[in-house]
Amino acid sequence: MAIVNRAEGRAYLTPLVGFLLFFLGFPAAVNLVYSISTVSFETLRSPSLSGFGNYAAVLADREFWGAVSFSMRFGVLTALAECLIGLFLAVFLTPLLAKRSYLMAPLMLPLMVAPAMIGLMYRLVLHEFAGPVPYYLFEWFGDSPAFLGVDNAFRTLLVVEILQWTPFAFLLFYMAYAAIPLEVREAASLDGASALKALWWVELPLMLPTLVIAFFIRFIDGFRVFDNVYALTGSGAGGSTTSLSIYIYQAFFKGGAIGKAVAASVVLFLASLAVLYGLNWITGRGRR
Amino acid sequence: MKLNSTSFSAVAVLFASVALPGISHATVTVLGWPGGSEETALRATVEAYNAQSGIADADKVELLFFNRDGFFDKLQADMAAGSDAFDVNLVATYSIGRYAPYMEPVDLGADAGKVFGESVLKTMQFDGEQYGVPTDLSLHFMYYRKDLVDALMQDDVAKKKYAEIAKEHLGKDLQPKDPDSWTWDDWAATTLYFSKQVNSESPVRYGTVLQMKNLLFNMMVFQSLPRSYGADWTDKDGNVTVDSDAYKTGLELYKKLYDAGASPKDSLSYEYAETNAAYGSGQAATALQWNAAAADLTNAEKTPAVAAVTGIVAPPAGPNGRADHIHGLGLGLNKNAKNKEGAVKFLKWLATEDAALLYARSGGSPALAPDVAAKVSKERPDLVKLGEFASQYGYVMNGATSANALSVYELQAKEFTGYWAGQQSLEDALAHTKTGMQDLLKK
Amino acid sequence: MLNLLRWLVFVVAVLAMNFPVIVTVITSFKSARELSFNPGFWIGEPTLENYTRVLGETDRFNIYGYLFNSTIASLIGTGLAIALAFPAAYAIARSEAGRRTLLPLIINLRAVPLIIFAIPLYMMYQWLGLLDTQLGLGLILTIVNTPLALVILVNAISDVPSELDEAAKMDGASSWQVMLMIIRPVVRPAVVTTFIFGFITAWNEFLFGLMLTTSRAVPMTVGASFFFAASGGGVQWGTASAVMVLGALPPALLGLLMYRQISASLTAGAVKG
Repeated sequence: MAIVNRAEGRAYLTPLVGFLLFFLGFPAAVNLVYSISTVSFETLRSPSLSGFGNYAAVLADREFWGAVSFSMRFGVLTALAECLIGLFLAVFLTPLLAKRSYLMAPLMLPLMVAPAMIGLMYRLVLHEFAGPVPYYLFEWFGDSPAFLGVDNAFRTLLVVEILQWTPFAFLLFYMAYAAIPLEVREAASLDGASALKALWWVELPLMLPTLVIAFFIRFIDGFRVFDNVYALTGSGAGGSTTSLSIYIYQAFFKGGAIGKAVAASVVLFLASLAVLYGLNWITGRGRR
Repeated sequence: MKLNSTSFSAVAVLFASVALPGISHATVTVLGWPGGSEETALRATVEAYNAQSGIADADKVELLFFNRDGFFDKLQADMAAGSDAFDVNLVATYSIGRYAPYMEPVDLGADAGKVFGESVLKTMQFDGEQYGVPTDLSLHFMYYRKDLVDALMQDDVAKKKYAEIAKEHLGKDLQPKDPDSWTWDDWAATTLYFSKQVNSESPVRYGTVLQMKNLLFNMMVFQSLPRSYGADWTDKDGNVTVDSDAYKTGLELYKKLYDAGASPKDSLSYEYAETNAAYGSGQAATALQWNAAAADLTNAEKTPAVAAVTGIVAPPAGPNGRADHIHGLGLGLNKNAKNKEGAVKFLKWLATEDAALLYARSGGSPALAPDVAAKVSKERPDLVKLGEFASQYGYVMNGATSANALSVYELQAKEFTGYWAGQQSLEDALAHTKTGMQDLLKK
Repeated sequence: MLNLLRWLVFVVAVLAMNFPVIVTVITSFKSARELSFNPGFWIGEPTLENYTRVLGETDRFNIYGYLFNSTIASLIGTGLAIALAFPAAYAIARSEAGRRTLLPLIINLRAVPLIIFAIPLYMMYQWLGLLDTQLGLGLILTIVNTPLALVILVNAISDVPSELDEAAKMDGASSWQVMLMIIRPVVRPAVVTTFIFGFITAWNEFLFGLMLTTSRAVPMTVGASFFFAASGGGVQWGTASAVMVLGALPPALLGLLMYRQISASLTAGAVKG
């Protein structure tokens, strides 16, 4: 028996749907028109329809695909690292944290600072003459790598993102881990399972939904990364650190190619929608 | 935390903020460039304007500054959507073509030409119309370490080493020279001599600091090198000429110096601030940098390491002499202004000699005609230099005031940095730039 | 022994993850002069000049106004998002309504750079009179926050055994009552988490704040860049650091305050030792 019947379900959804329709309906419609028009900042109110040229231009643009590839790699790698480190910290540190909740404070702190400011700050931190990292590296080893050079920029950006957002995954995991009922753990230890075994066979499966959600959120956030990369390297030498968000922003504001920028977003929207529906379909089948 | 109380307070706040009164527009609102000396100067000037007896309350000027980051993107959105939040807005040479459709030309009167000179007024013109009063001028200085260069010139052993390095890396017979008579080759040889990686006896780590981040402003700094070899964006007939030998020479020289270790390894992520920090640390012998940095780099409080030993000259010369990329900031009239009459009145006043002098004395950097500049030469010797460099070496590329000028700089930034970073060949970079520029500059 | 290792891991993690924060705090106490020759971790001549500058120049840089605007807009953007998403999440978790189409559609909003909506929204806001208002900014932040709120809440409510609801229904409670009386208290940690994340996201949002405000409703992130530009201009590192420290304080305080709520409700079922 469904606890909420269909009609009630719709009623609960109405406020949210209504709100989004009201605020995004008009902009979305305008954007759809822009995406099939020749339009610039001067002709915002009078775009001229021109068919699917913008879509063709986007799909034929090597930089678009470069940006897709950057975002994809960035999203997967950061999400993986953040979840693994976050999970390890959550499980390993729980005995410490359960008794002293104030220890959570310093672990959550990185989340509070705007990513754009973190990016800006790393410009100072990594600067060969003004930053502490190269300063101490020179002091101790006599040399310091080019952190933001072409070869290292991607790795540096990964580390910057991972260090800031691991606490996000950690917090979700810590809560999921702490929420595992005491009886379950006791039962596991009564069965004589070792801590590792209990973790692998009992606790992790219980945390699985949270693991999936956290990975998913972190992947999306990594995929659409903008602020910190933009502040640190911009779009990078020759466009080497152009994430999809940066690509769209630059096309929109710097290039004035509004139709193309919007078309790129529509492509992104449809592609990710297809992926989500696909996932939904698979999990839906699994459930039945 | 209760859900109920949250949503309740949200609703309460919602109503509270709806009830806020709107600002009345009984004044002239001027949108200025925030944060720097431009702001200080504009504030002082506006204060003087408002204090005049002939100004009605309705025409008094109120200043508006929003932030720096993304300023022009925001301004573009505002103007394109027809905002009337300000009557007078900031405009820059490179963006004048982009904003002109949302602005109205102003007639500044015949005297404006005498105050600023025609070439400077031109930095605020589009399609032959005057769109703004020029307030500040930006160009580039070659900053160099007097102590290091002097020592080099007096040391015969060092001179020999210098000649060897020039021969080996540049294939030319060169001798150390006074910076004011440098060619780009002299400069290159000097930077190589002062780089640890080339010359282990160099007293500093790097010979120069190149700003090579993929950023449109960095292209303005770079532009003067190819320009002095005769480069231009287009020829007279509008054909894009970015694939000229002049651009090739300039691009190759930057790459050669970067690859040789004459500039910090991270130069590909350097812009204004990084360059200041690098030069200011005392570990670089030269830096081609904006004139705006002069105040900091010669201030012993802010940069104790180099302030006393920093010399300033115009950028080095090429076969076509010296060249210095100029662009102006100015103030112009918003098409949707609510108080146009008041706005025009203020702009006309701003273009008078008295106002320009006041602006200069308050810390702004206007480019003034020589006889006007002479009146503030005591307080602002740097303005004399600024005016001199601008009138002798200043240039604006063909097409650099067109609607897509910013996009051209943006494109060059991407393609040129791609070449410097070794991600594409020089030919490919120039071919891509040419195709893109043809698209952007066609009418 | 193991405990010692835990402490070690904790300290290393805290230092590594907070590295830029630590440097920022240190930098904010250095003068421009000192910064130009001392990049290290020690402070030779500690100074408060950066803070007095940021807090004192209220005619140019109204930090109190920015903080206030950010607080209001973020509260609207977070509170409203939760208020809208909570019933929706309940419906999605407990009936099949919306799971197939609506949920993916809304989640997708997080993947797309919302800035492409900036221009049409700007025109719409102009028409509605929402430009440069805290409410207008708050409403956009609501949209920004909705996807995350929905994901976390659906996940949390799905985890609540449905026997709980059914038992309550047997007793004659309406589904509305079940949602408020049964579900809400159980998923409180998730709501608090959503609130924290939402508030932080809203507080740190930059682009919409930039586009949709001019003077009266400018949020902290946008106001902060008054002292520096992320590209194409000078950065006064000391002042910028002081701005960052002050700008991050409110979400940090709020986050910690609310965190106590979560941990309090968690300790009931938490492991001992």
